[in-house]
Amino acid sequence: MLEWLYKDMLTFFPEGVSTYSKQLDDMFAVIYWFSVVIFFLTYGLLIAFIIKYRFNPNRKGYHFHGSNALEFTWTLLPSIVFILIGLWSEDMWTRTKSEWRVPHPDVSVEVMAYQFGWNIRYPGPDGVFGKKDRSQMTPSNPFGIDKNDPAGFDDLITMNQIHLPINKNVVVNLSTMDVIHSFFLPNFRVKQDALPGQWIKIWFNGFKSGKYELACAELCGSGHYSMRGEVFMQSEVEYDKWLDEKYSAIKANLLANPPALPTPTVEEPAKESHH
Amino acid sequence: MDTATISLHETTNHSHDHDHSHDHHELSFVQKYIFSTDHKVIARQFLFVALFFLLVGGFMAMLIRWQLAYPGEAIPLIGKFLPDTLVAGGAIQPNFYAQLLSMHGTIMIFLVIIPLAVGAFGNQCIPLMIGTDDMALPKLNMYSFWLVPPAGMLVCAGFFVEGGSAAAGWTSYPTLAALADKGQTLWLVGMFLVGFSSIMGAVNYITTILNKRAKGMTMFRMPLTVWALFITAILITLGTPVLAAAISMQFMDQFLHTSFFVPSHLVHAKGALYSGGGQPILWQHLFWFYSHPAVYIMILPTMGIVSDVLSTFSRKPIFGYKAMIFAIMGIAFLGFIVWGHHMFQSGMNPLLGTTFMLSTIVIAVPSAIKIFNWLGTIWRGNIKFATANLNALAFIATFVIGGLSGIFMASAPVDIYIHDTYFIVAHIHYVLFGGSLFGIFAGIYYWFPKMFGKMLNESWGRKHFYWSFAFFNLTFYPMHILGVGGHMRRVYDPYVYDFLKHFQPMNQFITISAFILGASQLILIFNILWSLKYGRNAPRNPWRANTLDWAAPAKPGHGNFDKDITVYRGPYEYSHPDRKLDYWPQWEAPEVVGDENKSQVSSLSHGGH
Ligand code: HEM
Ligand SMILES: [Cu+2]
Ligand SMILES: [Cu+2]
Repeated sequence: MLEWLYKDMLTFFPEGVSTYSKQLDDMFAVIYWFSVVIFFLTYGLLIAFIIKYRFNPNRKGYHFHGSNALEFTWTLLPSIVFILIGLWSEDMWTRTKSEWRVPHPDVSVEVMAYQFGWNIRYPGPDGVFGKKDRSQMTPSNPFGIDKNDPAGFDDLITMNQIHLPINKNVVVNLSTMDVIHSFFLPNFRVKQDALPGQWIKIWFNGFKSGKYELACAELCGSGHYSMRGEVFMQSEVEYDKWLDEKYSAIKANLLANPPALPTPTVEEPAKESHH
Repeated sequence: MDTATISLHETTNHSHDHDHSHDHHELSFVQKYIFSTDHKVIARQFLFVALFFLLVGGFMAMLIRWQLAYPGEAIPLIGKFLPDTLVAGGAIQPNFYAQLLSMHGTIMIFLVIIPLAVGAFGNQCIPLMIGTDDMALPKLNMYSFWLVPPAGMLVCAGFFVEGGSAAAGWTSYPTLAALADKGQTLWLVGMFLVGFSSIMGAVNYITTILNKRAKGMTMFRMPLTVWALFITAILITLGTPVLAAAISMQFMDQFLHTSFFVPSHLVHAKGALYSGGGQPILWQHLFWFYSHPAVYIMILPTMGIVSDVLSTFSRKPIFGYKAMIFAIMGIAFLGFIVWGHHMFQSGMNPLLGTTFMLSTIVIAVPSAIKIFNWLGTIWRGNIKFATANLNALAFIATFVIGGLSGIFMASAPVDIYIHDTYFIVAHIHYVLFGGSLFGIFAGIYYWFPKMFGKMLNESWGRKHFYWSFAFFNLTFYPMHILGVGGHMRRVYDPYVYDFLKHFQPMNQFITISAFILGASQLILIFNILWSLKYGRNAPRNPWRANTLDWAAPAKPGHGNFDKDITVYRGPYEYSHPDRKLDYWPQWEAPEVVGDENKSQVSSLSHGGH
């Protein structure tokens, strides 16, 4: 209840488990310590002046209108410090968010948010995402997977649970079916709004296995608070095992009920053997 | 100097006559107190309406805090009186929570802070401080006020329509907002009216300041309150039309199913109504193009107020008068090129994030300059701790923290994690409650004598201040920590998440502090009501201040001044070494040092008529 009074603010971060979480926390920490210094400096002066120059009827204030040298100094100094913070932030910013610095993906998943939950799509045994088409999106086909594209038949879709391997570059392609949501992984220091009508790529690389939470960070309606998801970070072996289980189920299902191509166009044989 | 000063002789002479011939054309009650064109009456109207909405918005905050501390538990006392659409067994429901947080933000920003900082103090201070009889466009001024009550009623009427009030946050992002129900429509209409009220007021302020200054009142002799309001008015005229346009577009999206902000192929109950092709993020650009300058609309006037109050009670010239003006101008100019810092994580091109990050970091510089100049002002002063000054000093103290938290968020990569968490909530309350509202309190305690002819009770005032200041910090400082812990804002029940469960005791602590903070504001209300009835009659210049407002009678009548006003010097000549008195009013002629001076003093101690 009162921990905040005596504990350092920085100790309240949830454990960071992505490759850039430490760098981001360090940036926070540097600005934090800078702020602590400025805080004590300004508060020290404020309190000292309040005490020292409190009213005394035998004294008069100092008739002084200011000093250009001082104005110049306290314009220049903060400018330099702030611009340094800016330039230094720039590298981390492009590293985490710029498309041209998204690393080569080891694992790609798609996430489609909706009121109020998350659909997650894996490419399936063939390793290829089926074509998607927004005009075909429905609650039961949240990604609008093109029914004419065989690559889509084996795609795996899960809800609110993401399994991922550790020490791999994960690229998430993010969108939403209805309103704006925000994909927030506190432990990974990842946050990105999902925009309807648009796909946005984000990436991270987690180094610690375990179960972590996914939250929605943008007000999206009365169920906003309930958009809780889970991220399971697993060793490569475990992850592959999980994937294998899911994929064999899909394969078995496809064998048992071969999907008919619903189009009046050319029949395409042997969809299952696509792999 | 002469071009801008119009001959005030005539106007003031007239008003001089007026004073003795009041009964010549007595105004009806309605003209005098309701549809009045007198800037001072309009100022009081803004004050009372905004204080009323402060109580309404504050009450909503209490409900929000109850839910965060004790989710799912019945609201004590009032829970059982609320309808089933909002509460279940007396406990707040998620839809009601969303309505509360949206209405709280909307009311506090558009119906409390802006009407107080700009409406009340702009009206009260501008004509008096530049030495004129009234605004340049008094009718427009009256309309400006009279748009606010209907706007407020429309927005609040949302609670009584199907689907409840607006629930998409004060930021009202589409598509959520565009697809919402009638409450959101009422919100849009209400905000449109508030925007018009602002624009009318601002046009009037600019015109008045440029054209109606007393003889000798050059631009660089104007008090910083007037400068700040002048720049604020420019921000309003440039920014608010953009908001009005955006609101009109969202209104059409909602009502006529156009698709400015609605993209194609939404999977939503209302999706089929739209042809699509729009861009939800366009709203954010338009909204923040106004709303970032709007945060300065909310704080610049109070920065002006704080400067005047500090100088007066430190008995010292403001430190760096021109630097302060250039800092205000710098903030205003830069304020128009930083809006994207609200959108770092919105999905706009990260390259834009870079540019907005750099401009935002630059805007922190003039804010820092202002802090240093205020410290310079109290340095070697002779500081009196009147309640007004306590609040002004608190403004500095909290603005330091609010400015520093701004730097974290200005760094786009650091903002990734803290965006949309309680860190932001802490920041906005440090700048808007700690900053703007304490600045407004300073203004209320400072100008109450001129507004009402009575002194506010200082002892109650101090109580109000100490309780507010202590519990403000106890309420909002811990929110930084919640933010660092990853606590999202606008969540109905944070404890759905395992990583937030340990914050419940802290949230309870915050809630209890917030209740005390809320209750402390009743002291202010009580003090105002008590002092109006029983307060000591105010002298003409109770704080021995220099600016022209204090040359007017204790409770100025229509026309304001009872003597000719000529300005001889800047507004901050305190503790001049050549003078025995520690102040040197702007209106006092320089030649007269002996007799005149004495008569001046005695007229002060007499107070008004
Ligand atoms: C040193 C100066 C300041 C800087 C660098 C700064 C920076 C920022 C940034 C980057 C954000 C967006 C954070 C996010 O959503 O992730 C923000 C939000 C905000 N700021 Fe400031 N700020 C400063 C001063 C102020 C002042 C003076 C005010 C008001 C008087 C203010 C009011 C707000 C408000 C209301 C929001 C939140 C809006 C919302 O999302 O609901 N800020 N600020
Ligand atoms: Cu959401
Ligand atoms: Cu801003």
